[in-house]
Amino acid sequence: MRRLALPLIATCLFAGLPAIATAATAPADAIKYRQAVMDGMAAHVNAVLLLVTGKVDHPDQVKGHADALAALAENAKTVFPADSGGADTRALPLIWEDRTQFDEIMVKLTKSTGQLRDAVAANDKAASMAAFKAVGESCKACHDRYRKPKD
Amino acid sequence: MVLLVVGTQAALADASSLIERGQYLTYAGGCLTCHTADKPGAIPLAGGRALDTPFGTFYSPNLTPDPDTGLRNWTDEDFEHALRDGRTPDGSFYYPVFPYPSYTGLSDADVRAIAAYLRSLPPVRQVIPPHDLPWYLSFRPVMYGWNLLNFRPQRFEPDNTKTPGWNRGAYVVRHLGHCGECHTPRNLLGAVDQKRELSGNPDGPEGDKVPDITQNRITGIGRWSTSEIELFLEIGILPDGDFVGSTMGAVIDDNTGHLTPTDRQAIATYLQSVDSPELP
Repeated sequence: MRRLALPLIATCLFAGLPAIATAATAPADAIKYRQAVMDGMAAHVNAVLLLVTGKVDHPDQVKGHADALAALAENAKTVFPADSGGADTRALPLIWEDRTQFDEIMVKLTKSTGQLRDAVAANDKAASMAAFKAVGESCKACHDRYRKPKD
Repeated sequence: MVLLVVGTQAALADASSLIERGQYLTYAGGCLTCHTADKPGAIPLAGGRALDTPFGTFYSPNLTPDPDTGLRNWTDEDFEHALRDGRTPDGSFYYPVFPYPSYTGLSDADVRAIAAYLRSLPPVRQVIPPHDLPWYLSFRPVMYGWNLLNFRPQRFEPDNTKTPGWNRGAYVVRHLGHCGECHTPRNLLGAVDQKRELSGNPDGPEGDKVPDITQNRITGIGRWSTSEIELFLEIGILPDGDFVGSTMGAVIDDNTGHLTPTDRQAIATYLQSVDSPELP
């Protein structure tokens, strides 16, 4: 019985995968995923800062956070599909009206997080801090213009 | 002759350092945020920003020395009256959307430096639309009564029981940086309620909610470290790794991000002494 069940489960899982990949994302889920990516970035930004400034003494762990941040920044480019605005998100409609300018900030974000990843890998503290500030500038530039203030 | 030349050069150096100091104070005074139009490529300090308030829409004046649309040839005394008494050179009243109730604490030296810097700007011609106010406010003398009830011109007095850092922070937060204009709630007449200093304003500029920045550990910044406050003022990072935007984002760009580390530290020192008001 066990022998039969495993392949069966495996078949079901793989059969299901293409369906998941091609199904249109519900706007509510797009918003939740965006918030997960953004919260993840904030968490790694915070971790990098605590480690780079030496407030927390695990120098070998900066790399993991910097790598994750660079990867999440790439994901961030994809998390603002059309129709993912509305009342449940602080993302302002201006994002979609102003897409070219918005995307320019996204490019700055991926560039600066890439520089941070490289500076951390090279163990260059000054360059890490400079790249960290550049990451912050792109986060802030976007939040200044495209995010609703907290209620 | 040599003496005269040296004397003139010294005077020129003094004048340029006065202007430089005035520029720093103009940033630290937050003048740019309101006195620069809210559109790409707007010329700093040439005014024209629409300020939406619960009392109507105000359009910020042009602070460049343009003879027709700006401050023309304001004297030091004109700047003193405006910043510290809330009065125009011809004696009429400003509305307290211009934070003279905070600027009234400014020192003579600081007012003169700001005046010197603003006079040194290239004149920019920019016509500012008239304020859009309800009928009962568009008659300016009504502000005579408002000032009588809500305003006392008063310079900053250092508290000798506190450190120089605390005193500098108090001066910057209460007067020059006028943090309370947004972060302190207002009474029904729109006057800042000092008993609830910095405890947040549910109805801030542009209708936004402005957070509590007292030492309250739940609603305020009581759990922020000194270095977290300093770095926030420099680059806008919150202790959870998020970056602030909107109105405070602009304050960081135009004001606190330009301050010396010593001034940011002074602000942090002062903020960490402001307790949450007791609940009624």
